[in-house]
Amino acid sequence: MRDWWYEFPAIGRTDLRDFKKAGDEAFKSFSRAYGESLEMFFKPLLNFLVWFEKLLINSPWPVVMAIIALLVWLGSRSWQLVLGTLVSLALIGYMGMWENTMYTLALVSVATLVCIVFGIPAGILMSKSDRVQSVITPVLDFMQTVPAFVYLIPIILLLGLGKIPGLIAVCIYAIPPIVRLTNLGIRLVDKDVLEAADAFGASPRQKLWSVQMPLALPNIFAGVNQTIMMALAMVVVAALIGVRGLGMEVLKAVNNQYITLGFMNGLAIMAIAIVFDRVSQKFGKRLQKHSEVIHG
Amino acid sequence: MKKFLATAAIATLGMGFGTSAMAQEDCGEITMAEFNWASGELLANVDKFILEEGFGCSVELIIGGTAPIFASMNEKGVPQIAGEQWVNGVRTLVDEALAEGRLYAVNRGPIEGLGEGWWVPSYTLEANPEIKTVLDLIERPDLFPFAEDASLGAFVGCPAGWGCQQINISLFEAFDMEAKGWTLVDPGSAAGLDGSIAKANERNENWFGYYWSPTALIGKYNMVQVPFGVDYAGDEAWNGCITQAGCENPPQSSWVKSEVFTIVTPDFMENGGEINDYLAARVYPGAVMGSMLVYMSDEQAEGSDAAIEFLERYEDVWTQWVSPEVAARVKAAL
Repeated sequence: MRDWWYEFPAIGRTDLRDFKKAGDEAFKSFSRAYGESLEMFFKPLLNFLVWFEKLLINSPWPVVMAIIALLVWLGSRSWQLVLGTLVSLALIGYMGMWENTMYTLALVSVATLVCIVFGIPAGILMSKSDRVQSVITPVLDFMQTVPAFVYLIPIILLLGLGKIPGLIAVCIYAIPPIVRLTNLGIRLVDKDVLEAADAFGASPRQKLWSVQMPLALPNIFAGVNQTIMMALAMVVVAALIGVRGLGMEVLKAVNNQYITLGFMNGLAIMAIAIVFDRVSQKFGKRLQKHSEVIHG
Repeated sequence: MKKFLATAAIATLGMGFGTSAMAQEDCGEITMAEFNWASGELLANVDKFILEEGFGCSVELIIGGTAPIFASMNEKGVPQIAGEQWVNGVRTLVDEALAEGRLYAVNRGPIEGLGEGWWVPSYTLEANPEIKTVLDLIERPDLFPFAEDASLGAFVGCPAGWGCQQINISLFEAFDMEAKGWTLVDPGSAAGLDGSIAKANERNENWFGYYWSPTALIGKYNMVQVPFGVDYAGDEAWNGCITQAGCENPPQSSWVKSEVFTIVTPDFMENGGEINDYLAARVYPGAVMGSMLVYMSDEQAEGSDAAIEFLERYEDVWTQWVSPEVAARVKAAL
């Protein structure tokens, strides 16, 4: 009587172990059966990512800096931001972190693209049906809270080391903000406005693209912004499965106690994060210029 | 070397008999390193159990890798005991510390049958019988296509923080592998390295890279260490160049014979008493360690569980390392 009161009656150790082993064996047979086809499926994405990386690294650095400055200008129309970006990039290059920064930029850009491409439709789906929302929300909870290594190891067994597992890991962590905020943004659109659209005879598609999406834009952009931040935060975790870039340098610094190296690369990650953050926020604000109240 | 160890073991056991008449004192709190690989976990947890149940200590385990733990011991004196300190990667620092008396090596061979080197799965060699040494292997990068660029061969090195990372980088350069069409892949972490070996073996793909034994992975997948085909380049070249970053023109070399020490801090050396004798006597035969590692892998056992299994299964091995009173206390606690 006393025993089970204080020690939770768990299943026996042998049963627990057999259960775990059965799960592992099942995963390994899945990997043997479908692993190669999964690798083939991701090959185009991998080729794109490698091509993009090579483009950034092999282009002359003044060209890359100029293009980035141009994009920052087009997005934000703020010369302070352009100047800040140029100074940060110059410092990054001067301290010998150019190549690693290019790797990281490539990974984060492609990851953000993938997240947006899959995240916004998922958010739109969620906003249309409460049932879909109740199914997807726990999945998002899982993706945001489960420690990365839990899904990194199965991914390595399926796809090996390198960029695609890293990209998947980054996307798993970074997609929930954009899904949740797209869902929230669309649901928050004023019911009166929707009624007015109905009154004017709008089809569901017209309602979505001409009424709901534009009005949900502040929230969606907050989602894009957060996705980018989370993707950058994950570069160090991605380094744990061999993804090159600033993350790997930080990992090296942590493992070898190279304090200055860690700080330098950390600051480089922060600089990129700030640039992305400000540009996406300013771009979002500019897209809402038509509305009377600008959120954000 | 083994005869000396045996004699030392018997001598210390004899001393143990003599001093065991002393009342057992609570030996206080001790910090001990738990190295973040399978044999390191097992060793640390067995030590912890014996120290806590047999000697009455309270042991705190500090988890870490080769370089960080050694740096911490060297600079801060914490942890006080490092049971499985692999020395090759931090050779110069270790020799310095030992020579200056900042640290002590109470056991220069806690595990028998160690080996680091470059490994391939057995089926790779069976399919390509003309490959006999590393020199033959590096002519065939086409057998090990790199996922991101099929024109290159992938050689998997060591993650950051492991002493072997720099050694692999130097040897990669010494054997001119970049020119021969290879790329040095950084697996990022121990899990990454293990995962990449597991994945290759499960899919019957070729794999080439660094690993060491005794390990469960080598045993489980029957990997084979490829002889380098060149001799060891000598201690000076190894410690002075191959293990150092930024050395120009590292020479080709086979791997140095692996050395693992049990290292303690001076304060522990003075106050540890009988525990130092235990640490000196504790030597794991290679086969025993190998089978424990396969157990840990198959049963997904953590260090603490595996330690209990070891103490139960290999009583005749560990009772040799401690006095009968300590052995009796440990057995009672099992």
